[in-house]
Amino acid sequence: MKKIGLFYSFNTNKTAKNAEKIKKAFGSSAEVESVNVEDVDEEMFLAYDNLILGVPTWFDGELPNYWDEFMPAIEDLKLKGKTVALFGLGDQVGYPENFVDAIGLLAIALEERGAKVIGLTSPEGYKFEKSVALRDSKFLGLALDIENQAGLSNERIEAWVEQLKKEFK
Amino acid sequence: METLEITSVESTTDKTNKMTESKKFSIKKTSKELLGRWFHLMTLGRALDEKAPNYLKQAIGWSYHAPYAGHDGIQLAIGQVFDRKTDHLFPYYRDMLTSISAGLTAEEIIFNGISKDTDVAGGGRHMSNHFAKPEWNVHNVSSCTGNHTLHAVGLGRAVKKYKHKGVVISSQGESSVSEGYVYEAINGATNEQLPVVFVFQDNGYGISVPKKDQTANRKVADNFRGMKYLKIIHCNGKDVFDSMNAMTEAKQIALETSTPVIVQANCVRMGSHSNSDKHELYRDNAELNYVTEYDPLAKYRRLLVRYKRFTEEELLAIEAEVKLEVKKAHKAGLSAPDPDPASIHDFVIPEPYVSEKYPEGLHNFTGNNKKLIEGLNETLKAEFRLNPDTFIWGQDIANKDKGGIFNVSKGMQQEFGKDRVFNAPIAEDYIMGTANGMSRFNDKIRIVVEGAEFADYFWPAMEQFVETTHEYWRTKGQYSPNITVRLASGGYIGGGLYHSQNIEGALATFPGVRIVYPSYADDAAGLLRTSIRSKGMTVFMEPKALYNDPKASAAVPEDFEVPFGKARVRREGADLTIVTYGNTTHMCVEVADKLAEDTGKQVEVIDLRSLVPMDIETILKSVAKTNKVMVVHEDKVFSGFGAEISATITEKAFDKLDAPVKRVGSEFTPVGFNRILEKAVLPNNDKIYAAAKELIEY
Repeated sequence: MKKIGLFYSFNTNKTAKNAEKIKKAFGSSAEVESVNVEDVDEEMFLAYDNLILGVPTWFDGELPNYWDEFMPAIEDLKLKGKTVALFGLGDQVGYPENFVDAIGLLAIALEERGAKVIGLTSPEGYKFEKSVALRDSKFLGLALDIENQAGLSNERIEAWVEQLKKEFK
Repeated sequence: METLEITSVESTTDKTNKMTESKKFSIKKTSKELLGRWFHLMTLGRALDEKAPNYLKQAIGWSYHAPYAGHDGIQLAIGQVFDRKTDHLFPYYRDMLTSISAGLTAEEIIFNGISKDTDVAGGGRHMSNHFAKPEWNVHNVSSCTGNHTLHAVGLGRAVKKYKHKGVVISSQGESSVSEGYVYEAINGATNEQLPVVFVFQDNGYGISVPKKDQTANRKVADNFRGMKYLKIIHCNGKDVFDSMNAMTEAKQIALETSTPVIVQANCVRMGSHSNSDKHELYRDNAELNYVTEYDPLAKYRRLLVRYKRFTEEELLAIEAEVKLEVKKAHKAGLSAPDPDPASIHDFVIPEPYVSEKYPEGLHNFTGNNKKLIEGLNETLKAEFRLNPDTFIWGQDIANKDKGGIFNVSKGMQQEFGKDRVFNAPIAEDYIMGTANGMSRFNDKIRIVVEGAEFADYFWPAMEQFVETTHEYWRTKGQYSPNITVRLASGGYIGGGLYHSQNIEGALATFPGVRIVYPSYADDAAGLLRTSIRSKGMTVFMEPKALYNDPKASAAVPEDFEVPFGKARVRREGADLTIVTYGNTTHMCVEVADKLAEDTGKQVEVIDLRSLVPMDIETILKSVAKTNKVMVVHEDKVFSGFGAEISATITEKAFDKLDAPVKRVGSEFTPVGFNRILEKAVLPNNDKIYAAAKELIEY
């Protein structure tokens, strides 16, 4: 498996903690490098063929500002050959109309530039109304809800990482 | 300025659309000149937003300030798409950057903030943070949140009827959408297919009330999804480019298809609601950090540097420029003149139409008698023939052969067409509010509305009525709503609690409106003509029991005019003065005749005709002759308009009175439906006779 770039904001608390759990779950099966998305530029982003992106949903279904500010750069990137997995925090009770939308927003944008999105998961076990991250009855990544289902996060992460180990090349 | 035309923009409504679709405005494509101008405007706005509380701390003014920080993207965009030559803009009290982006200068913002005479919104008469410039179609709006949505729709109606190329933009906070009249406005805009863009600036709070306590949908715009012809666009109001693209698309849709658009802009409120609110009481630190982290200005600045559109030095230079601009504006603000306290009575209501032929509102015409309803119908038609910029609407106003609930406007739609004579939905506030809005299009327009099916149903329109009484004064004469509000009024028809009310006493407490209440066909015709020709708002009370009553019929000169504030002596006498109006005028004349027969005493009956302004001279002249006065009206004695008449007489003619001023009117109860109850409540000849006799014998 090629080296994985794990992109998330180092200024976050919850997302960072879960990113570290993901990294830990890979153990020695893959080389995972953490990258602070707040400082990312095109070159750093393109340095990896395998990427895991941490993208929590802000407000009523928005990207966090650090990803949003990188979007104009993404628009001009050619991402063919890149394999991307996304995870994100959301609140299915407080924001059931926009649960983990940001995963979907980023995933679709990356696909449009040629990236392959992997690590799709089942929405079973979640209760929400709408999500941009939902396509063909699958989330376009791993949805974590530490506000309402914190006890399920560890097993969800472990299962997801096992899945990624198979899907990443 | 870079033009804002767009070729093709995907709506952000459907998030499954392509995320990287090429947009008109983006950090990479927008010209450096425009990006720099935006940065200048945003920096200026923020500097003033942050400076505003200092004026209060120094006791200079700006006691109401609703900070906009966090709404920067959408407010910049609203102002940028607004074209003052063709469009109309209704900003709300948080729209400081919107106003600056629309063209208001730093000085103009400060003049308003510290309420100077030079304030272009209205010379310090309206609250601070209510920015406006009527001269540029940036309208002066109420503090009553969201109430201007109805004005925007009324203006949209004028834009459409006059085939004007332009749009109306109405801006408000998301919580104000909870107001019922906002629903009326959007329903009407879709039904009439009007080019109005409603912008909901969603910062999650109505003062301290979170949006979950306002409505079930977190995005309140989605409550309107079922409405036909309505486009809904969601955007990130914190982001300059998303906001610019959304507003550009919204304007284009409204212009090209003449349909309304809602733009819901997700914002954050970085500060408290206003300087009388402390958001620390209901928001925790995590939330405050969260919203501050998404400071739209800081984000825009980072983008400019990150994508190498501006260097740090260039941005510092703009920021330094803004500092100087604010300093200069501050100095100008402090040295600007304050409003003159002697000016408070200026611009309460515009000067009315002056009748040269009938300066006293009297005539000697002896043609055939006409019913009161005929006098009204023929005058309406005559004025509509004379002035092509006249419009009438209301409930039931135009359905084949029906013209108004009582057929007062019969035949008008057939003669003047559906563009000028049309039905309104059962929404009295909409009827009144859109009249206020449409009148803003130009001052040639004269609007007549049937304010409600019956005066009793006018109460839902009260907030728009109150608002309309404020306009002329609040704008220091810059905007006059030229509206005649017709209301079928009063009882004696067995109509019960909701078809018998007299509401003139309540309405007369508001400065900024004239109120007339004729009793005869000729006066009804003459007052209606004067109302329609005058600037300002006139409430025209129609005693519905008299529409077809032969008692109220009179010979009506074709061109008759009755000036406001001119009473008419309907019967002369020297023993007692009765001041009356409306239904009771006829009773008083009959009672006077009977008293003359029974006692030989002569009663003078003054028909006020016009309540506001009131002809106190005619009253005092009569009181000086009779030394006794009785006030009779249909409304309740307690707090009825007669209380004002009585108090004025007591104050101005106490030394002429040989007896206390007596009042006759309704009991202090609602009007019962059963005829026995109705009779017990309302004044009648017997009650008036007994009171008059008692007073004469005093």
